[in-house]
Amino acid sequence: MLQLTLLPSGQRLAVAAGTALADLLFAHGVEFPCGGRGACCACRVRIARAAPPPTAADRRAFSEAQLAAGWRLACQHRVLADIELEIGDWTAPVLADATPLAVVPRPDCGIAIDLGTTTIAAQLVDRRCGAVLATRTALNPQARHGADIMSRLDAAARGAAEALRDAVRGELGRLCRELAALAPAPVRLVAVAGNTAMHHLFAGLDPRPLLSPPYRSPHDGERVFRDAELGWDLNGAEVRLLPCLGGFVGGDLTAGLLATALHQREGPALLVDLGTNGELVLGDRQGLLAASTAAGPAFEGAGISIGMRAASGAISAVEACDGGLRCTVLGGGPARGICGSGLVDAVAAALTLGWVLPNGRLAPGRRELPLGDGLALTARDVRQLQLAKGAIAAGIVMLCAQRGIAPSAVERVLLAGAFGNYVRIPSAVRIGLLPFAVERIAAVGNTALRGARLALHDDDAAYTALRARVAHLELHRLPGYEEAFAQAMAFPAS
Amino acid sequence: MPRYQDLYDAVVDGDAKTAKSATERLLQQGVDAGELLSDALIPAMDEVGRRFECNEYFVPELLIAARAMKAAMELIRPKLAATGVQPVATVVIGTVKGDLHDIGKNLVAAMLEGGGFAVHDLGVDVPPERFVGAVQEKKPEILAMSALLTTTMPAMRETIQALIAAGIRDQVKVIVGGAPVTESFARDIGADGYSDTASAAVQLARRLVGK
Ligand code: B12
Ligand code: FES
Repeated sequence: MLQLTLLPSGQRLAVAAGTALADLLFAHGVEFPCGGRGACCACRVRIARAAPPPTAADRRAFSEAQLAAGWRLACQHRVLADIELEIGDWTAPVLADATPLAVVPRPDCGIAIDLGTTTIAAQLVDRRCGAVLATRTALNPQARHGADIMSRLDAAARGAAEALRDAVRGELGRLCRELAALAPAPVRLVAVAGNTAMHHLFAGLDPRPLLSPPYRSPHDGERVFRDAELGWDLNGAEVRLLPCLGGFVGGDLTAGLLATALHQREGPALLVDLGTNGELVLGDRQGLLAASTAAGPAFEGAGISIGMRAASGAISAVEACDGGLRCTVLGGGPARGICGSGLVDAVAAALTLGWVLPNGRLAPGRRELPLGDGLALTARDVRQLQLAKGAIAAGIVMLCAQRGIAPSAVERVLLAGAFGNYVRIPSAVRIGLLPFAVERIAAVGNTALRGARLALHDDDAAYTALRARVAHLELHRLPGYEEAFAQAMAFPAS
Repeated sequence: MPRYQDLYDAVVDGDAKTAKSATERLLQQGVDAGELLSDALIPAMDEVGRRFECNEYFVPELLIAARAMKAAMELIRPKLAATGVQPVATVVIGTVKGDLHDIGKNLVAAMLEGGGFAVHDLGVDVPPERFVGAVQEKKPEILAMSALLTTTMPAMRETIQALIAAGIRDQVKVIVGGAPVTESFARDIGADGYSDTASAAVQLARRLVGK
């Protein structure tokens, strides 16, 4: 056995020689967005002692000085000696939710699960009154096969389907067992809400329909399992996987509809899950329109020169102050990079300072956006943000047009998903990510989890009926998308 | 100083209306279509590309400049054919099988057209057989493929394999691009060239055909 020491915590792990770092570090918060192909350079770590010789991918990712300091791409290496590795003090922020709900009482307990691409949240619910008794969170163990849904689906199509299925079933089973041990009454029902990719990978369905046009799966409806089928031991409990709404608009949004009751509103409202794969539902009791709009990982810090996810050392908030940018760093120490909310803030503030022009260009004579601590955003970073926010905003504009209304006619805009809950709304409006008045927008927490909790009380599966009321739009088929996307890439003048 | 300043400016500024009216006027005045192409459109699109490269322009500006260039080209193209002006070279372009993203591909096509190439655009979700068929039929000097999904990048390799199987790989230079594509991937699959922007694609194509 070899020893791996994590810095700065000093935690020691006993590791078999030859174990891939990717297998060890994921649990400690290092992510592998490209699935370890050496293409994304997001799995950067510093090996403080006994760094292995750099690979070609390491050489592409780092300067000589960085290589000498021990920087490596974690996905490229195995443990071949006792090593010390600096990964900083990573945390996995997972949104839980304990909003009281009005429910139809049942005589037992249930477990609600938000199965996210990155994180998982599970709650033990007393179905007699709807109260949340306990919450458990975990990282999705599939992330070792890629951070985004396309890499995961691709890995599944290339032979890892069973490994991906078993990894996630195993992890959910573990969480359920832990929660069931705390339950005052037997657990009879588990409700799982996940995006379309998570739905398919959990159920062990063929991922290929989601990998080629028209990117629609015929199998994205509700799935019901018995605990034993999943390898779980919950005394015969039933496990329901919520149906998707169509295409890449998944069961997380079905749950989101339950949680926000969009389908019962009198006037039009919009539910937005801001993520790598943005999901949108617009409508009211008369009908609902859904679309997915792949923004890319900029909001998670990927593809940005100094981007990182929201963990300690990340600049999470930026304000214009005394003619410069003032940053707030998670954990309070020196900044190591910037996460999505910081990026949106920084560009919003830079627009206010006149450092960035409405067309996304840096003001003449300006080469970068300095953030302090030797960090700066580049012109290219601003361009990446334009693509990401343009994709979301264009999706919103197209949905409104399809519904025959102007964005100003949307009464409420509800932000779901982790990023939607951290982004500062005035900044999101300032950069034109959300083409609405600030007062109309509100973060609504983890609606996937809340909706799964509601589904626990929903015996006659009203959510299956809900699916029939949603029309799924494929943005690439709508004339005018390119025009809308081009316009949405610009920043509002004020 | 370009010779047909108003047309040149209209393209660089992305003003399709003025580009069209200026072209109409110039053609009516008897200016040679080939000259408009070589002395106004090509330098204008080169300037657009230059501004893109130095981060002054981005996708929206490129799109409107391409539209202005196309408005002018519509009028110029028939005259070019009539006067027997030869294109720099012929390009067949498409987005590979499984992929419907075409904004980048359209920009590359427009920049190449604005650079004096004859461009046959096969659209999106183009399977290897169609690329092969188009190479056999149009006899282009260059085949350009675009992919925006990591999952569709392998279709580029398949297309090159299909060209080899059809025995026509050496008749055409293959260039590839799209956000997830890299130089080393291009080399790996046996492509002849890669560029990360539409403007650099024009330089690349010119270099590959020796012009
Ligand atoms: C716009 C967009 C869409 C639009 C596409 C509209 C259209 N007509 O093309 C819509 C909304 C329809 C869409 C759909 C999907 N998308 Co999309 N999309 C994007 C987005 C936001 C921008 C892509 C773009 O147009 N960039 C601008 C152009 C100009 O850049 P470019 O194509 O790279 O081209 C430049 C260079 O690469 C080069 N170039 C391009 N081609 C070539 C060719 C040659 C030969 C050369 C030399 C150079 C060259 O020149 C260009 C100009 O300089 C990206 C995310 C992002 N932030 O980038 C996701 C993204 C590409 N999409 C993605 C996905 C997954 C999808 C979907 C499959 C799923 C979904 N949730 O919707 C669907 C369906 C697929 C489909 N339709 O094919 C993912 C891919 C992830 C992956 N692992 O591969 C991305 C990265 C977002 C993400 N991470 O989630 N998408
Ligand atoms: S470079 Fe992408 S996971 Fe390592």
